Amino acid sequence: MKNMCATLLVLLAVFTSLSVSAQNVTVKGTVKDKTGEAIIGASVVQKGKAGNGSITDIEGNFSINSIPGDATLIISYVGMKSQEVPLKGKKMVDVILEEDAQALEEVVVIGYGTVKRKDITGSVSSVNSDQIAAVPVASATEAITGKMAGVQITTTEGSPDAEMKIRVRGGGSITQSNEPLFIVDGFPVSSISDIATSDIESIDVLKDASSTAIYGSRGANGVILVTTKSGKQGKFSVNYNSYYSWKTLAKKMDVLSPKDYVKWQYELAALKSSTDLTSYTDFYGNYSDIDMYNNVPSNDWQDLTFGRTGHTFNQSLSINGGSDKIRYAFNYSHVNEKAIMEQSSFKRDNFSLKLNSNPTKKLAVDFSVRYSNTDINGGGANDTKSTYDSDKRLKYSVIYTPIPLRNLTTDSGNSDDELGNLYDPLVSISDNAREQNRKQLNMAGSVTWEVIDNLKVRAELGLDDYHFTDQRFWGLTTYLIKNEPAVENQGKPAAQFVNTAQKTFRSTNTVNYDFKKLLGENHHLNLMAGHEYIIIKQITQTDMIHGFPTWFTAENAWSLSTQGVPYSINKYLNPDDKLLSLFGRANYDYQSKYLVSATFRADASSKFSSKNRWGYFPSAAVAWRISSEPFMEKTKNWLDDLKLRFSYGTAGNNNIPPGQLTQPFEPKTTAWVNGFGNYWAASKTMANPDLKWETTVTRNVGVDFTLLGGRLNGSVEGYINTTKDLLILYPTQGTGYDNQYRNMGKTENKGIEATLNWTAINTKNVELSFSGNIGFNKNKIKSLGIMNDFGADSRWASSEIGYDYWVSVGGSVGQMIGYRSDGRYEVSDFEDYNGKTWTLKKGVTDSSPAVGTLRPGVMKLKDIQGNDNIVNRDEKEIIGDANPLHTGGFSINGRLYGFDLSANFNWSYGNDIYNANKIEFTQTGKYQYRNMIDIMADGKRWTNLNADGTICNDPAQLAAMNANTTMWSPLTDRMIFTDWAVEDGSFLRLNTLTLGYTIPSSLLQKVKITSLRFYVTGYNLFCLTSYSGYDPEVSTIRNTNLTPGVDYSAYPKSRQFVVGVNLNF
Amino acid sequence: MNIKKFTYLVSVSLCLLTSCDMEAPSKSSLDESLIFSTPSLAEAAVMGIHVSFGETNSYRGRFLPYYGINSDVEWINGMSTTTNDDAKYSLTGYAASPTNTLMNDATNAWAKFYEGIERANLAIRGLRTYGNVSTNSELAQLLGEALTLRAVVYLDLVKAWGDVPARFEPVTSETTYVPRSDRDIIYKQLLADLLEAENLVPWPNASKVTSSVERVNKAFVKSLRARIALYAGGYSQRKDGIRLSTDPELSREKMYAIAKQECEDVINQNVCKLGSFEDNFRRLCLEKTDAGQESIWEIPFAAGRGRVLYTFGVKHQAADQYTQQAQGGVNGPLPYLYYDYDVQDVRRDITCVPYEWSKANPSKQQLRSLKNWCFGKLRYEWMTRIVTSTNDDGINWQYMRLADVYLMAAEAINELEGPANAAKYMKPILDRALPADKVTAYMTKATANKSAFFDAIVEQRGLEFAGECLRKADLIRWNLLKTKLDEAKAKMLRLATHTGEYADLPIKLYYKTGSNGESLVIYGLNHGDTDSAGAILGYSSNTDWIKADGSSLPQELIDALYQNNPDEHQYWPIWKTFIDSSNGTLTND
Repeated sequence: MKNMCATLLVLLAVFTSLSVSAQNVTVKGTVKDKTGEAIIGASVVQKGKAGNGSITDIEGNFSINSIPGDATLIISYVGMKSQEVPLKGKKMVDVILEEDAQALEEVVVIGYGTVKRKDITGSVSSVNSDQIAAVPVASATEAITGKMAGVQITTTEGSPDAEMKIRVRGGGSITQSNEPLFIVDGFPVSSISDIATSDIESIDVLKDASSTAIYGSRGANGVILVTTKSGKQGKFSVNYNSYYSWKTLAKKMDVLSPKDYVKWQYELAALKSSTDLTSYTDFYGNYSDIDMYNNVPSNDWQDLTFGRTGHTFNQSLSINGGSDKIRYAFNYSHVNEKAIMEQSSFKRDNFSLKLNSNPTKKLAVDFSVRYSNTDINGGGANDTKSTYDSDKRLKYSVIYTPIPLRNLTTDSGNSDDELGNLYDPLVSISDNAREQNRKQLNMAGSVTWEVIDNLKVRAELGLDDYHFTDQRFWGLTTYLIKNEPAVENQGKPAAQFVNTAQKTFRSTNTVNYDFKKLLGENHHLNLMAGHEYIIIKQITQTDMIHGFPTWFTAENAWSLSTQGVPYSINKYLNPDDKLLSLFGRANYDYQSKYLVSATFRADASSKFSSKNRWGYFPSAAVAWRISSEPFMEKTKNWLDDLKLRFSYGTAGNNNIPPGQLTQPFEPKTTAWVNGFGNYWAASKTMANPDLKWETTVTRNVGVDFTLLGGRLNGSVEGYINTTKDLLILYPTQGTGYDNQYRNMGKTENKGIEATLNWTAINTKNVELSFSGNIGFNKNKIKSLGIMNDFGADSRWASSEIGYDYWVSVGGSVGQMIGYRSDGRYEVSDFEDYNGKTWTLKKGVTDSSPAVGTLRPGVMKLKDIQGNDNIVNRDEKEIIGDANPLHTGGFSINGRLYGFDLSANFNWSYGNDIYNANKIEFTQTGKYQYRNMIDIMADGKRWTNLNADGTICNDPAQLAAMNANTTMWSPLTDRMIFTDWAVEDGSFLRLNTLTLGYTIPSSLLQKVKITSLRFYVTGYNLFCLTSYSGYDPEVSTIRNTNLTPGVDYSAYPKSRQFVVGVNLNF
Repeated sequence: MNIKKFTYLVSVSLCLLTSCDMEAPSKSSLDESLIFSTPSLAEAAVMGIHVSFGETNSYRGRFLPYYGINSDVEWINGMSTTTNDDAKYSLTGYAASPTNTLMNDATNAWAKFYEGIERANLAIRGLRTYGNVSTNSELAQLLGEALTLRAVVYLDLVKAWGDVPARFEPVTSETTYVPRSDRDIIYKQLLADLLEAENLVPWPNASKVTSSVERVNKAFVKSLRARIALYAGGYSQRKDGIRLSTDPELSREKMYAIAKQECEDVINQNVCKLGSFEDNFRRLCLEKTDAGQESIWEIPFAAGRGRVLYTFGVKHQAADQYTQQAQGGVNGPLPYLYYDYDVQDVRRDITCVPYEWSKANPSKQQLRSLKNWCFGKLRYEWMTRIVTSTNDDGINWQYMRLADVYLMAAEAINELEGPANAAKYMKPILDRALPADKVTAYMTKATANKSAFFDAIVEQRGLEFAGECLRKADLIRWNLLKTKLDEAKAKMLRLATHTGEYADLPIKLYYKTGSNGESLVIYGLNHGDTDSAGAILGYSSNTDWIKADGSSLPQELIDALYQNNPDEHQYWPIWKTFIDSSNGTLTND
């Protein structure tokens, strides 16, 4: 790296001082577009002598002082077709540049190279900087939401740093992550969320194996390539973008009124024990005085927790420019967000610098550095990956008592804290405080040398230095401090500090030869070969400290760690993750009509033993440009391009933690055994020395078309992906180990995607365009090796529900399993009441094993097996599927004089949501004193309460009292998951709506401003859905890959309004 | 110059290419050769076995609370007779299905037992390979301890599931899936292992390590070997019905001989002593773990782990002056048990408690009901430490105590030599429970003949160990499970209806809070008490304890003691999740 920098500096010094000599004439002229508007900043250079040239000024004028009279000028401008103008002695040259023929000439990044979109043989979706810049968003992932066919992005919660789940064509893995491979400027990174959107030139997603195969081992779930901005020759520009936004909670749940809440608490207490009503009277007084709750004011906890207005301030500055020798791009961006939830905030600074230089005609030296620093405060979405279920506490904003209660302590209503007792929502936030910081420094340099004409050799070195610190605090109300610490430290605050340091080093060398014209005009052949070595070293230090003084706050604990008792100090050195690869690609075409490309990659991963280390991933693709055939001559006037392509290829996956080959003893900490604070044990995951590569075979067929002079274009694709030798974390309970990584099983993803872009009007002052995409994907498990099926448990209700997801051959990951609701027991279902219990009539289904003691009004379930009229605890079936039928998005862009308007919609159709909130907010389980949502309001829920405060057991009277109620009684023994809580999660969201105004450039010329635009944007303005929860785009339980689509105690989504400015010098 | 730089870069890269070492060994780990040759490291590896004991659904939350229940002296309180719950009531009522919702979970005791076994197997292999146990007494202790802990787990596996997979070597890819093996094979291995372990670990207090009953000592190895011998030589349900082992190596005589030998060794060594009955349990609650008393070995739950008192203690309705954890009373004695003790038997009031602590702070004792007794051997109020955890109490599980050794010796010798020689081992147990004259009378009756002595053993083990979950396995090995459960049901019915041997009891209890402001003074629990005497005591309260209509102890509840014929359901099924993930090697057929 040092050498690299030195080289660069020397080269800079030498070549920027070169000066131009020998001149003959002076040439002047103007550059304009078709509409007669001056083009500012167009580059005008002498052909063959790129150092001699000029840039057009604010009126489009240029002047070159010394140029041979017979020279040729090259005039170029971004987005315009370049023109060559032979001077032939002329001294005045007026040029009109035409706009580039739309997308066809657009360059697409395909991994270790680029290709023109028209020459693509595989399946690639792209988003460019214009599309990204049009709408202000904080992250690259947000920027592509709904914009690419077959790329499904789910924002799992509403917190400022919420995980965005990205799936390219469904994903093949079952237990392992289906995240695509992220590559930023060639460098593999774990996430793209920390990249400033203002720094992004383009995002390309490789979807089929012929495209991803060049990334071999890691391309099986698709590849997302982010290219950051580079300086542009001859054009100096300064961009300043800034916006300010306001965020508010998008939706609230209606809860019971205080009177109704108290009334239900009375009925609950009386149902639990008709003789001992102290569980009511201790808190609420006598039932006869219930009228005093009639008009008492209540606390709106949702408002107190999420009701504040969030603010975001975002600004970015980029400086861009260069000569023919050196180009540079600098970007700084800053985001500062105060989120809607108390104590939740987000801050990020990005800095990047990119230098590209051409010291000689044959040599290019590039250097880039990116730095990001992100702070996330607040424990908002805490513990979605933890076993401490009770710490998912956002639910308290709904179920906490709406009125202050004397005597209420945290363990009232239930003595065991597995699901969490009743906590003041605000206290529980500060008791679960968390601060995270991520710092990433990425440096890369490369040298490209054109050894002989068209033979380019390129060497790249890169280093990524990543630091993540995560500090957490557990206050007095948390489950952890009551149970995990040694007994003398129980009931006292605890804190944890996790420091992760990861260094990734990458060395890539490629050779590229373009057989330009060597094979004649008609044949084009390009060969590339290369090798790559990547090594990742990671150290994680986890320090857990228990027993802080009880009055300590998070701030105290984080800054005064000596005041606690160290429980564990664990510095864990991961085994190195090494990857050595050799790869090659050949692209051939005949007259751009018949295109063939073939790729081969071989990868060796240190995660596998020497006999299984190498994986080989070949692929091939062919395309046929039908529109270039003579028989298509007649369509030439309307059909610009029609291409049919087919690809077949393999990609691999080694997405398992390193170190699975041997069973070493690891040091661990425990507070379970008297006298021993730590012990040695083998990992709970059994070693497997026979692990090998997982392989995905994809078949893709697609049609690309461009019509009407490029105003209408699009593509339609179909694919079948099969993944075999699935790397799966296989349950091996009973062998002595919990699980083992194995190559077992097979999955399939089939789908169809379509993309369409239409520019309806495009004149100087008016533009209207539409674009849309849709993707259908069907995931199917073809084999699970030696098993047929297994259950997975979301555990939102601790162990009360048991398996609620089912993974089985023939099904897909995301199938929910539960009871079928049959409404409620009516009085007519019972034979009689014997003074103590209600007896069911013969033939009426007995749901008591699942729901608890029966009486009229109790929730009733269907006897699925239909064999014994009894609903046993395991009598469940598939009742939902989290997989959508299709997802997509569309946008409308319009421009009228200086105004621009853009609306982006995205949707998901046919997926089910497991509304766990709804269960917990309408059932008591074993708890008392909890509030409910208003679907259980008085008059809707079954009531057993006589006016005099006794429980009614008179059949006729009970039936009459409930003649107009529709819901069952909230009293249940435990949380019960039925199909009632499975809801259609289809939605159509107006993701963003932006209205902008660009000040006419004529007004700005005097102040040397190139362009100035003001805009307002609304986010999440509406969401059409039948889903009853906060938001249908949700997936809260992400501990494993097996439980998608659960809505439980999520950080709610917000609605946002932005005002911003784009300024361009 | 640029060319030169470039060449340099290429050569750097090629160098990287050629010298790439693609091996990536673990870093934060140690090799077993180092661990098992270093006593302090090896000790921490053996202690890893205990971590498996403490896992949520292992001994801690599933096996200890549910295995020994229901017997003819113990049951789970508050069984619902109307809800048909396939969880704890079918589990304890001999009707568990493989999908039992409490147990059918990948983290269940079954899995964690095998995890402990794997840890033991690794330790045993490592110590035998790298630990010089013949010269290093510390490592010898650890090998003996690993062998013994493995035997503990296997014995409990066999008790609960009958024939189970035998894994005595660390898992390899060939042995990932193994079928059930005959319990006789496992018993023989355990007997041999413990014979080896006897010579590896010292007697209690003979070394620093064995000065605590939380560590394995020679007395425990021997007494455990005796217990295993009695099970191996006893009856159990097999595929072809209930029978003894047909393996000549496990003949009754050989097994009684082992039990006799091992128990006499322990007793004669005189390193443990029978203190008072109450003292043993008070010491347990006080967490006194010094060796040399009655306790021989305990599962060493740390103060924040284990649900022993939580499950078997006297119930506290709320956090109060004695505990921050409002638990206890989950399991309890059968309602008749209290009345079957001699009124002077000191074990009665310690074992069976009719009250709980009220929902107040400070709290005081309040009556429970006839059908809802608490065990009293473990009490928050006997602890000096206040339990703060919401889920765990930290009391050790006393796995073996000297009284058991005495009664095992008496039983074995009676079978081998008759009551005359056996009597000396039963008498000390009675001596500390009853007045001398009653002991003499009892011993006279018991030593009349071999079968009378056996009946006395059956009775005394019930009275002595109620609430310690030994009973169910005892009844099974005697082939008395259904007989005794039916007997218990008949007794409960007579108690509920105030007939038979319970007809002399008063209908009401008369009670008041004692002078200390928290204890209950109760009249009416003894045979010989009468309502007329009770009524004139002037106690502040009274209540119908044994209602004439039988509702104090309903017939349905008595019937719920077992749902299926216990003799045909002596074992739990292997839970479905383990059958499913066994690659077809395990079945419940």
